[in-house]
Amino acid sequence: MLAQIVAVMIFIAMFVLIVTEILERHVVSLICALLTIVFVFGLGMHSMTAIFETINLKSIFTIEFWYLSGEVSGGSAGINWETILFIFGMMVMVEGMARVGFFRWLCMRIAKLVNYQVIPLFITFMILSTILAMFIDSITVILFLAAVTIELSQLLKFNPIPMILSEIFCANLGGSATMCGDPPNIIIGTSLGYSFTDFVTNTGVIALVCLMAVLTYFYLIFRKELKSDTSNSVNYGNMPSPESTITDKKGFAVSCVIFAVAIILLVTHAQTGLTVSTIGCIVALATLVTSRKYAILLLKKVDYKTLLFFIGLFVVIGGLEQTGILEIMAAFIGKISGGNVMVMVAIIIWLSAIVSAFVDNIPFATTMIPIIKSLSAAYGVDLSMLSWTLAMGTDIGGSATPIGASANVVGVATASREGYVIKWGLYCKKMMPATVMAVLIAMLLIYFRYL
Amino acid sequence: MEKQLIISVGREYGSGGHEIAEKLSQHYGIQLLDHNFLDEIAAKKNMNMDHLKELDEKYKNPLSSRTVRGFSSSPEENLLYLQFDYLRERADAGDSFVIVGRCSETILKQYDNMISIFILGDLDKRIERIMRLYHLTESQAVKKIREKDMNRRRYHNSFCVRKWGDCRNYDISINSSNLGIDGTAKLLTYYIDTRRQ
Repeated sequence: MLAQIVAVMIFIAMFVLIVTEILERHVVSLICALLTIVFVFGLGMHSMTAIFETINLKSIFTIEFWYLSGEVSGGSAGINWETILFIFGMMVMVEGMARVGFFRWLCMRIAKLVNYQVIPLFITFMILSTILAMFIDSITVILFLAAVTIELSQLLKFNPIPMILSEIFCANLGGSATMCGDPPNIIIGTSLGYSFTDFVTNTGVIALVCLMAVLTYFYLIFRKELKSDTSNSVNYGNMPSPESTITDKKGFAVSCVIFAVAIILLVTHAQTGLTVSTIGCIVALATLVTSRKYAILLLKKVDYKTLLFFIGLFVVIGGLEQTGILEIMAAFIGKISGGNVMVMVAIIIWLSAIVSAFVDNIPFATTMIPIIKSLSAAYGVDLSMLSWTLAMGTDIGGSATPIGASANVVGVATASREGYVIKWGLYCKKMMPATVMAVLIAMLLIYFRYL
Repeated sequence: MEKQLIISVGREYGSGGHEIAEKLSQHYGIQLLDHNFLDEIAAKKNMNMDHLKELDEKYKNPLSSRTVRGFSSSPEENLLYLQFDYLRERADAGDSFVIVGRCSETILKQYDNMISIFILGDLDKRIERIMRLYHLTESQAVKKIREKDMNRRRYHNSFCVRKWGDCRNYDISINSSNLGIDGTAKLLTYYIDTRRQ
């Protein structure tokens, strides 16, 4: 009982400290992880086994961590090293692509393809944001898209805010479509043993339908604001050529190949047996070896703080799991829903969406995974359906407010620093209806397809 | 060519810090930057001036903002970065100016030609001044002073490591109640001239 109380207290303290930003979130999660090990596992449970299970280092030394010969299986509890290695690998690859100018080139190439016409640009950038976010982190997607959008808006004389808001939403939506699009999906996939194909054929289909709806919604609400000021004729010859954005031609070609290989490996990983940790290591090694003298620079640019945050977070959630708190929470959700699957889905998707709109969706999704596992076991509900529900709720819900997801923060900050201030009121007025609509569509599709 | 001079003036509300900053700018014949430089930022960035004024010298609410890899969702913080960029650009260009508030003593610290000043005052003298200037009762003046000082403190401390009004953060901290506005300005010019020699 004491261990349970302490585990909950540490978890709440971690959330409060993350939200208030008194300390950086990786510092908070690591301190809370240490407190969990000492007070929950050590003094509360007197269990060295719980400590070793949560730190989970032994998993790295198993064959299944690198290669799965049979069915995709669920990962073990505790620190999800598979997620950490995969995210690290993708971070290295993305830094390599950014160095050679890949993202800027892609944006400029598309702008040129649509002849720099604002409405086609608006639609294609939303689609580009969705597709890129399916494979790389949404922060990088928005960082480049927002910067190029502002640059083009100054040349073409239109208001960039509608376009940036739409790109943010689509980046979060695109992240929900695949296993590697958003950290909650990677954690869900590796923890519960789903493949890239599982995600694409389930959350991917839902995301596609939502994309159609939000494209229409954003077009209808923004079409007037996006009218380009054509009174001053635009000299298209002054537009930066896509080729001029490439900083290293050879490196660019190599980056494209590595990115293509990463996508192929991810799409086929259920067939090849390569786990996401192996894929992460392959793309990181390929990037570092081919970058030669820039390898150290790329390694320095990796966001280690996020990786440390994940490590601490997994330990704190491990504390809740080992003390049985999450089973109690699962039983509570089961009781409220009265065992009714439709109510259960509604609770999970709306709770996930609302919580993710205000706090980091990663701790929430990580906490919910053991809960949906318990719900599935106790009520005989299909675990995969609950997983897709959780993924859609956490990924889409984050779009509702400026602080809900990392992409939102980066997009809002990039725009504001260029003088296009996006305040809470403006953001929520445009994005909240889109979020509610997308969550509703996702819930109805889950009802329609799985129940 | 005149040697560059940047004077950063932090101030308690009612201490006459702004008036002293004006006197220093007149004395040295250099531009005074307070809220007026928002006009320049607004023109340069094609921004709505009303938006900028609403956010100027406002502290960020930690509960309604979030930071990711150095990017902040807080409009107040982002406006501050625009102001920082503007001030650094001016300083890099070798311009001389007096800047009032806006964490300038911290963000311009690396410039050798910057002198940072903090003006404080006795509470009774500050109340008297605010009552006279704004035709307020004593209790209204006390309330206004507390409110303004709290806002300035929270604004400064949410963006800077060193605390607002902490004498270790400034080259010179001075109580304007003892020498009055003119006397304080005179003493400060003596200090500035001595520093520049």
